[in-house]
Amino acid sequence: MSAAKVKMREKKMRNQPASVQYSSSVIAESSSRNGGRDQPVRGGPSGMHPSKKPKGPPQTGWVRGRHRDGVGYTKEMPKFITAGAFARARATEVRAMLKAVTKTTASSHVFQALPKHMRRRAMSHNTKRLPRRLRDVANRMREKSLQASSKKKKEPAKNKSRKARRRHGNLLLEFNRRQRKNIWLETHIWHAKRFHMVKKWGYCLGDRPTSKCYRPCYRAMSSHCLLQDLSYYCCIELKGEETKLLAALSQLTSKEAGPMFAAGLCLSGCRQGSVTVYRAGQYPSQPLGPVTFLWRPQTQAVTHRQLWIWAHPTLKQDLLPELQSVCQCHEAVPQVLHAGVSDTSQPASKPENASEEKLKCGIKRKRSSKDASEPPVKKILGDGTRLPGTPVTWKSDSTGIVINDLTMEIVRYRLIGPQSHSVLTDTLEAATVCHEVNKSQASSFWWPQHCKDENKMNLHHQQADVFHTLKGIFSTGELLPGTVLGLTVDDPRLTLPKKKVKALPCVNQAQEVDEEKRRALMLRGVPEQCCQSFLWERSVRDNVTDNKISEQKLNQMRSEVLVPGSRLSPTPPQGRVPVLLVHQPGKQVGNEMSSWGAGWDLLLPKGWGMAFWVPLVYRGVRVAGLHMSLKHSQNKAVPHFPHDYPDCPAGVRFQEEQEAEFLDKFRRRPPAKRTNYIKHGCLAPFRCPWQQLAEEWEVLMREEDGQSQSTTKTDVSMKEEVTSQNIVMTKPPSCFIVLRERRSLRLLSAWCRPTTSKGQRLRRVVKVPPPSRPTVSAFLAAHGSSLVWVRLSLVSKGKPEIHAMVCVPTAEDLKLLGRNPVNGPQEVPHKDHFKCRIKRQKKASKKAATCPLPTDDPLSAPVPVTSTAPQSSSDLIFGLWPDPLPSVTSHCSRVTLGWVTQGDFSLSAGCGEALGFVSVTGLLHTLLHQAEEHRGTLLLRNPNSLHYRLTKVNIEV
Amino acid sequence: MVRVKSRYLLCEVNVSNRSDLLLLDDRAVAAAVKAAVARMHGDYGAALCSIRFSVKYLNAHTGIVFLRFPKRCYKLLWSALPFITSIESRRLTIPCFLNCLHVGGTIRTCQKFLVRYNTKQLHRMLPKCKTEEEKQQVRQAILSCCLPGGNKEELEDDLESEEDEEDEEE
Repeated sequence: MSAAKVKMREKKMRNQPASVQYSSSVIAESSSRNGGRDQPVRGGPSGMHPSKKPKGPPQTGWVRGRHRDGVGYTKEMPKFITAGAFARARATEVRAMLKAVTKTTASSHVFQALPKHMRRRAMSHNTKRLPRRLRDVANRMREKSLQASSKKKKEPAKNKSRKARRRHGNLLLEFNRRQRKNIWLETHIWHAKRFHMVKKWGYCLGDRPTSKCYRPCYRAMSSHCLLQDLSYYCCIELKGEETKLLAALSQLTSKEAGPMFAAGLCLSGCRQGSVTVYRAGQYPSQPLGPVTFLWRPQTQAVTHRQLWIWAHPTLKQDLLPELQSVCQCHEAVPQVLHAGVSDTSQPASKPENASEEKLKCGIKRKRSSKDASEPPVKKILGDGTRLPGTPVTWKSDSTGIVINDLTMEIVRYRLIGPQSHSVLTDTLEAATVCHEVNKSQASSFWWPQHCKDENKMNLHHQQADVFHTLKGIFSTGELLPGTVLGLTVDDPRLTLPKKKVKALPCVNQAQEVDEEKRRALMLRGVPEQCCQSFLWERSVRDNVTDNKISEQKLNQMRSEVLVPGSRLSPTPPQGRVPVLLVHQPGKQVGNEMSSWGAGWDLLLPKGWGMAFWVPLVYRGVRVAGLHMSLKHSQNKAVPHFPHDYPDCPAGVRFQEEQEAEFLDKFRRRPPAKRTNYIKHGCLAPFRCPWQQLAEEWEVLMREEDGQSQSTTKTDVSMKEEVTSQNIVMTKPPSCFIVLRERRSLRLLSAWCRPTTSKGQRLRRVVKVPPPSRPTVSAFLAAHGSSLVWVRLSLVSKGKPEIHAMVCVPTAEDLKLLGRNPVNGPQEVPHKDHFKCRIKRQKKASKKAATCPLPTDDPLSAPVPVTSTAPQSSSDLIFGLWPDPLPSVTSHCSRVTLGWVTQGDFSLSAGCGEALGFVSVTGLLHTLLHQAEEHRGTLLLRNPNSLHYRLTKVNIEV
Repeated sequence: MVRVKSRYLLCEVNVSNRSDLLLLDDRAVAAAVKAAVARMHGDYGAALCSIRFSVKYLNAHTGIVFLRFPKRCYKLLWSALPFITSIESRRLTIPCFLNCLHVGGTIRTCQKFLVRYNTKQLHRMLPKCKTEEEKQQVRQAILSCCLPGGNKEELEDDLESEEDEEDEEE
């Protein structure tokens, strides 16, 4: 019987009389089984016990159960019975019976004591329906139950009515309160209504839409346009002299890993560049992560350069201290809280909080007119979680570099897809020039001021021209990757269509002149001076943010238009926004689907997020969240941060989080319904021990060299057992390296390709000699313990999953490749040695749990088991290998090379595709032993399956 | 509602020597009944007696026993009760016989009957008392079991204690 049942029965039998008899050692056991009946009758024993009996000790006479002092029954039993005692016994029995009869047993409701014909509807609700004699009791019961219920669920403190809560000011207050912990993007409310939100990296981000749209999103990416809010990416601004900036930044990167910050095209400001940043001078170990950067085009008369580095929020916390140390910027510049809007003398040090406080527009303040004493509520723009005193600017005296943290200062939207340029050209319109402004009168808005300047107007016309040419382009992918275009546009809310329309390209209206221009744009990119934008200037940004027309005002203006629905004209003077358009390259590696997933990034000043978001959405784009950006990079075959950066601190953190999440999910299932990963031979289904993998392969190769190339599996596994112990003992913290050196990757990629594959040979110009022993050993000497990022595409069926194992095929497996249909080999199920151990533990712990209850029992006291059981059961989870892991490489019948970090059925390739890391040593070893026609064929096995699938490995540079 | 129906027999164990009554226990009574049924009705009876037969209550002082039989066959089992002449308890044989006082469909009716019966018995005992002391005791006993006021107070107390318990549970 379960504990609850026992309890219920006890409650039920509480008032029932128990048998009254002298106890004996024989019956003790049997009666204890009867649950509640062995309770003595309340008030019975004392009254019932004959006081005259001299030999019956009163404390033992009525005890049922085991005898404590071992007194025999013959001694304690009275020899004779008197009439008085008998009468008393009778009386006691009567009382007990009376109690049993009068008291209800089943439920505690008072009205249930009533006979059925006296019961009335809703008696429990209204006690006045009860007979008067029961009312008091019922009232008390009711109060008690009310108390209990209020104790259980905390009364929600919603003392305000819904109407009051939904009032604009109160709603804003509530929103501001909720933004204190996690930063909200400007499109948060829009997203929260349509997306599954997750709290990640200190932000509230949309993960995936609540509607089913995986395939529509993919189609949007490949044929129309997909929109994402990437405002959570952090921007760090560096200002200083070019040489000094470059000298400082060159410590963070290396030439071997590709172009650096100083790359020619990027430095001019025409292109956006991307690099992988390392800790200062530590290349190739200790990478931090990938960043994109953008130089401000050089203007005359200003020697200072301005650089924006865009980094993922998890990367920022590592990157910012590194940048500070490199640039020697340790001196925090105090914030000037009351910097005016027009105050441009110290643009760098003006914090965002100042502008937050000065924000006048965008807020409806109905109630402020009524009671001015109340402080007006302000919408939070920018980082709401940051304390007011936190420095955002650092400068150095020695180098003159100023670092400025522009997190949440600039809104960044990403449009992915071939039609994203037509969406942009549809939505945005180059700013109209203010003619009517009085030239002498100074305006508080920035655009009328700029209109007076001839140079600036020329530039604006050029930019508008380029933007116009953009309209005629067929696909976004045709442009040069990383092109930058600065622009000033009108408020897009003015041209908002009444209905959602799908933006379509307009190629047919091409003319001769445009044709020429278009070709120039496609081949040469945007002319250098057109990359300039006023978005770079803080004063302009703040002016624009502060002077945004409120939605309410705009609607009012709309209602005053003579023809309803027509465009608002003239444009109000504050309705011009400087923006930056940055082209995002599509798929650059590989031979098929080139420039898939290209798009534009739209950078806006803060506060204008929703003003641009809704018009963009009205152009028929799909909106996606974090999930789709992962898929985007997967289809583009680029590593996604932080998923595919296991060597970066952010990647390590991410892996730990992911492991905890998977483990939690796994443990939520009952053990019988879990996948038994031990039986599947999967050592680490929730995390990848990269370190152990790299080390094991290194040891493996060393062993082999020593034995002069005689590899037998038993040999290897035997060695492995020995070595794995050593590895666990002497484990330095994270010394594996992900190979990012361009030249080596190119070599590896050439080696991976089978020589007789169709199509793949066509574009190769340089013939790379096949891997031979000396070249391989030379390669390994340089990159011994490194991992390499590979793309695996399945030959036949199968959908790879996360943490699937990449294994080396045997010679027999490769013979299967020729057969049709291609069917991979099977792994023999492993034996779960831990199952019986868990069972034993469970049994022991159960025994230990039940044993302490009969405390007076001297026979059963396995105390040592109780103490050991809980701690050992916590580290043994059914279906998972406990730490430390045995050798990861030779655990299964096929030697493990690495693991998959992302895997899915690829809609673009039409087969299962996986991205993962393999050990360079292991890969080269495998390639060396494989025949020419099968080179680059590996096996892939999901953690919850025994079936190996044949895959082709691709390393693309 | 559908339920398993039983008959409850309220029996009195009559012994010649009153002090033997204290030796009784429920297992001994049950064994005696089973033996008698087996003797009278053979294997069939023994089988009937093994299903859902139990001694629900036994008071060794007054010799009151509640027996539960399945309703289907209680008459058959009942017919064997008069043949009990002795109960073997604690390695002693107690000569006795069972006198059935009441047959009830629920244990509650038996309890109600027992209350009435016991009070009647006490009232009957009063004139038979030999000494003044005995009379006093019996009178007290009668008073203690029939005072309605005391009962009510007890009820209240119980309610209170109930509340306390429930509070602890939470």
